[in-house]
Amino acid sequence: MSAVANYLPRNTWIHRLNPLTKMLWSIILMTLSFLYRDPIILAVLFLSIALVAYMAGILKEMLPAFKGLLIFAGIFLLFQIFFITEGKVLFYVIPGTKILPITDEGIFGSLAMGARLMVIAASFPVLLGTTQVKDLVIMLVEKIKIPYTYAFMFITSLRFVPTFMQEMEQIVQAQCSRGHRLENRNLIRKFFSLCPLAIPLMITSVKKAEQLAISMETRGFGLGSRTYLHQIQFRAIDWGISLGMLGMVALSVYLNLQGIFQ
Amino acid sequence: MSQTVNPAILVENLSFSYPNSERKALHEVGFEIQSGEFIGVTGPAGAGKSTLILCLNGIIPHFQSGTFQGKVLINGRDTFETPCAEISRLVGSVFQDPEAQIVAPSVEDEIAFGLENFGFEPADIEQRIQEALSLIGISHLRYRSTTELSGGQKQRVAIAAAVALRPQILVLDEPTSELDPIGTREVFDVLRKLNTDYHLTIVVVEQKLNVMLEYINRLLILNQGKTVCDLPPRRILEEPELLTGIGLKVPPVSELAYRLRKSGKYRPELPLTVEEAYCGIVQSLKNMRNNHD
Amino acid sequence: MIKVNDLTFQYPNGTPVLRQINFHIRPGEFVALIGQNGTGKTTLLKHFNALLKPSSGSVQVAGIDTRKSTTGELAKKVGYLFQNPDHQIFMPTVEKEISFGPGNLHLSKEEVKARTLEAASQVALSEYLKENPLFLSKGQRQRVAFASLLSMKPEIMVLDEPTTGQDYQEGIQIMEMVKKLHYEGHTIIFVTHDMELVARYAQRVIVLNRGQVLLDAATREVFYHPEELMKTNLFPPQIAQLAQKLKTNRPDLDNVLSVEDLYQELIRLEEDKANVCCG
Repeated sequence: MSAVANYLPRNTWIHRLNPLTKMLWSIILMTLSFLYRDPIILAVLFLSIALVAYMAGILKEMLPAFKGLLIFAGIFLLFQIFFITEGKVLFYVIPGTKILPITDEGIFGSLAMGARLMVIAASFPVLLGTTQVKDLVIMLVEKIKIPYTYAFMFITSLRFVPTFMQEMEQIVQAQCSRGHRLENRNLIRKFFSLCPLAIPLMITSVKKAEQLAISMETRGFGLGSRTYLHQIQFRAIDWGISLGMLGMVALSVYLNLQGIFQ
Repeated sequence: MSQTVNPAILVENLSFSYPNSERKALHEVGFEIQSGEFIGVTGPAGAGKSTLILCLNGIIPHFQSGTFQGKVLINGRDTFETPCAEISRLVGSVFQDPEAQIVAPSVEDEIAFGLENFGFEPADIEQRIQEALSLIGISHLRYRSTTELSGGQKQRVAIAAAVALRPQILVLDEPTSELDPIGTREVFDVLRKLNTDYHLTIVVVEQKLNVMLEYINRLLILNQGKTVCDLPPRRILEEPELLTGIGLKVPPVSELAYRLRKSGKYRPELPLTVEEAYCGIVQSLKNMRNNHD
Repeated sequence: MIKVNDLTFQYPNGTPVLRQINFHIRPGEFVALIGQNGTGKTTLLKHFNALLKPSSGSVQVAGIDTRKSTTGELAKKVGYLFQNPDHQIFMPTVEKEISFGPGNLHLSKEEVKARTLEAASQVALSEYLKENPLFLSKGQRQRVAFASLLSMKPEIMVLDEPTTGQDYQEGIQIMEMVKKLHYEGHTIIFVTHDMELVARYAQRVIVLNRGQVLLDAATREVFYHPEELMKTNLFPPQIAQLAQKLKTNRPDLDNVLSVEDLYQELIRLEEDKANVCCG
């Protein structure tokens, strides 16, 4: 898992919010960002995400992610700017010629696209930074009714990532010690040179999976009516925030249709 | 309510063979274990030890297919007719590879896993987690990530996860094979505590005889799927051929005392520990006694 | 054969694992490396065939500085047996598995074949050449892994817990094979938690504690320094513990390690006394 998607434990009210509330927040941001094409409004939306990150005490950890997004949005903007040729031509990239015109619509539109991209992408690291994946998945099982088995598979695979990394390291080292070299040049030889690594990994993984299945079986896995230690409640504050956000969306849509905010 | 008279475990004429295998992994095994006993199981590779454990916790015949004959009764209930889930409420299981039996990313969630599966109320789960952690002496590990624990800690978490379901019997399949000497002691000390303080019936498969013999009441030796003997540890020491005959090792101090006794130089009971051997030798040999003797 | 000078090793994240390690291992020595889990034993072993390279200091193996070599090159000199044979076995037959290593050394077909057969007979698996290693017992698979190193004819054999997960008989079988190699002139370094095995096979013991060498001496000497050993939560083998206690009564008792030797000692002491009384 990349550092961007890591849970950052803090004791803030945002961390304590129900995962569903935070997911709704993400979805609403996405909706709003498609609704508007004014770069200023989109920039405000982005700043609101940064504000939430600040309130959750994780702004510092989010900055690298935001910076990366900014660079990405910048590149995106540069590409976009040449493709929009509508509107009033402000200048040409190569002066004196008519090659690559830059228009007011172009600047406006590509700024909006870049900002939109940032709004959509920035909410996810904040969501994952303030919410444990496990809790998120449990809520999806409980409220959205995703089958527990799938959700469990997802959580357990996260748990086994470091285990398999270790296994892989051992296998690579064991084969290296026998003079094995990974081939890079020829595709077919490359494939065969992976066998000494892939086969032991497969065999040890299958053995581990069998063991795990037995261990789970002896602890009543799959009985049906399951409970959860951490009852994540949908509290008043969740209701308040969720309804507030939905209200805002309704208002925005209304204003948008009236043509007041674009 | 009066205690039932059924033995905790009753195994009668049990045979099992895995699919596609000619050989019987277990061959007409029979024994009885009373509630509160601490039983060791040992034997060379291929003796059927792991298979026996799987028969006790209901994985065989419910989960592992094969040819099953004979009877296994847990608290008087036939495992063949009792659903696996019910057996697992009575019998807690711990396995060899600490890595392959931990499902959750945190210790707390690991212990909650079984309880959640059985649908306990959150308040109940909370209480049982606390109880299991303090029983095993690992309350300080509660919020730790399971990947960063040592082998001995992982195995104690696995024991806590099994004990949280408040089983009457705990079965363990070579729980210390990946552990160092200190980790091995940690596990056995916990088992002793569960056995003496909480009357938990324990069946543990183990290779490290010189550790295990100190802890158990009875040793069941298997070889090639058959019971070789079923005796208290000290009785087994009297007949070391039972062990050496099938390639097992008698603890060195016991072997020494046995040899000394054969030459008429060791009188007391055969020792299980270094301390006992020391006292025994000092008692028996004239020149070992203190000067004022 | 192996020279470790001021070896310090830390992971990229800065966690130090080994600190200021110094020792030399001479050709033909039989050395046990002991210590608690997580104390750096495996990390140290991995320096002997350049799987890991020193953060500072140096490791020389058979005259080669590991910093200037690779694991692949050192494979001819150092055989490294991993704890779990499943991490390396991938061929469908025992024969192919054993010939994989020499196959990497650019030898002639006949030579690979000859070495494979020889290695298989060294580990008593000649009968199993056509079998699939997956269906062998854990002890047999460990011997397949062992043979697949022998076929590369290394001078140094490094073994990481070679007996873990096997029964007593299987463990002794592997150790007897190692002992035979030693007798033929190989240098042996092994890691184990089984002090009985150390007492029985090793000539020299290096005790690691928190990434540093705590003791480095002949096996007897190490096991008769129980206070030092206890610092690392290790205990001498039963016989050494017992003899140590008996020494409070009879300081002239020899530092023995085996049941046989202690038995003989006790009988000798008893008869001496008898002679004094009656003579």
